[in-house]
Amino acid sequence: MTGSVDLEHKAPRPRIWAIGGGKGGVGKSVFSTGMAMTLAQKGERCIMLDADLGGANLHTFLGMSHPGRTLSDLFRNQSLGLKDILLSTPFENLWLISGARAMLDMANPSYLQKMKVIRQIFSLNADHIFIDLGAGSAFNVLDFFLAAHEGVVVVMPTPTSIENAYHFLKAVYYRKLRKVVRELKVERLIDAALSAKVKSGIRSPRDLMIDLQHRDPIIGEQIVRAMMPFRPRLIVNQVQRNEDRDLGKKIALACRDFFGIEMTVPGLIRTDERVLMALKSRRPVLEMFPNCPFAEDVRRIAQQMTRVRR
Amino acid sequence: MDEDAIQLSFDRLGLSSQASIREVERAYRELCDLYSEESLATYSLMGYAERQEKLELLRTDYERILHSRLHRAPVAANLQTAADRQYSALPATIVCVDADPGQDPGTFLQQMREARGLSLRDVAERTKVGSFQLQGIEQHRFDVLPAPVYLRGFLKEFARVVEAPDIEALVDSFMVLYLNARDGKMM
Ligand SMILES: Nc1ncnc2c1ncn2[C@@H]1O[C@H](COP(=O)(O)OP(=O)(O)OP(=O)(O)O)[C@@H](O)[C@H]1O
Ligand SMILES: [Mg+2]
Repeated sequence: MTGSVDLEHKAPRPRIWAIGGGKGGVGKSVFSTGMAMTLAQKGERCIMLDADLGGANLHTFLGMSHPGRTLSDLFRNQSLGLKDILLSTPFENLWLISGARAMLDMANPSYLQKMKVIRQIFSLNADHIFIDLGAGSAFNVLDFFLAAHEGVVVVMPTPTSIENAYHFLKAVYYRKLRKVVRELKVERLIDAALSAKVKSGIRSPRDLMIDLQHRDPIIGEQIVRAMMPFRPRLIVNQVQRNEDRDLGKKIALACRDFFGIEMTVPGLIRTDERVLMALKSRRPVLEMFPNCPFAEDVRRIAQQMTRVRR
Repeated sequence: MDEDAIQLSFDRLGLSSQASIREVERAYRELCDLYSEESLATYSLMGYAERQEKLELLRTDYERILHSRLHRAPVAANLQTAADRQYSALPATIVCVDADPGQDPGTFLQQMREARGLSLRDVAERTKVGSFQLQGIEQHRFDVLPAPVYLRGFLKEFARVVEAPDIEALVDSFMVLYLNARDGKMM
């Protein structure tokens, strides 16, 4: 007999979100901050983790000019843990783990250091953790994205941003596939498929899956099943034109049709000049303009995304 | 027709083979839009040739599905026999109709109907097509008309019952007007 409670049906605590998207400047940090502020204002304990080691700036978004301890201290000092570098912010229920200056020490932390951070994230005492990722599709970025419960991809309605997002999604997908394959110990099957890639016309994850299922129906099925939970969310930010309102749905459709990657689209965010105004005043948009279009959109998305676990 | 090919077409449109004609049309239109040249979502995914290939494949899938449904539809077959029986009873009147069936097929059908002394309800009874939709055909009210695959059948029955000449050409010219109007609205 054990006295343990059945936690099966509950959302994991803390719930970990990673916000990425390939391209720089699309609004990953603005959106992460908006999400964290929204949930913190509702009384949920939120931690923001600035994993943009090359260009950490979340402290600025929160109006904190000199972060104290940062990830850089953690990398240098083996005895420090994530909770030791947790900073309180000017806002209730909101904490920050800053990535500032980490770049000076190591833009690319070692594999062990990265794993240490990822492991410790899960034992932080909070309801939500938002990992704000840097631009690009480096392994560091991909691994944080995959470690999270929820991956969110932010794009802007521009060809380059969308192109980078596709690149990012494919890179994450293959990274996850590699892990799945390693766990199932079927590397040889994948290698065979990939080496015949050109001959068999494999151009996308979707083609690869079809090929695998033909090569070995049983293992192929296992791989497909293991990949199924991979279902990132897609946010189109800085929407201005009416015809871009359904862009999220179209990108998701293209992802399914072209890559075989399923995405959900919890909503879009309009362009709002107050975002820049708030940034210039070093205050979070949601605090300075609680009822602006940006705040409305982010709140709607937060509500949509926290409604039920899929 | 090849069942596998039909199934594959449903797959490519992202539909189950139980999908209604309306769903097929919607999926087809969405995918055409997604792979159109102005589409921001697929801008970086493919070049011109690949895009044309994709659109061509989509059209083939769409037509294959419609075709398979058309041949399965028992409604069309029943209508035919019922209608055939009906119009042996019609007096062979010589009619004078001035609408151009190519330019204005709806009015042409209306004039044919009136010349036969038939009310909309008479035609509705003989074709089993609702009089509201028959009127929609006569007045080119495309928004009230059903999906092309049904519409074709309706037009044929209508034309047959009023004994219009050259039914195929008449149906074709109506369909061209209909599809143009619908595409115009889509953009
Ligand atoms: N909805 C919006 N309306 C108006 N401006 C916006 C909006 N979202 C973001 N911006 C602007 O875009 C800029 C970049 O945003 P942000 O720093 O969040 O991007 P990022 O993706 O985190 O970039 P990086 O990859 O460099 O970290 C900001 O200066 C902000 O002013
Ligand atoms: Mg950023």
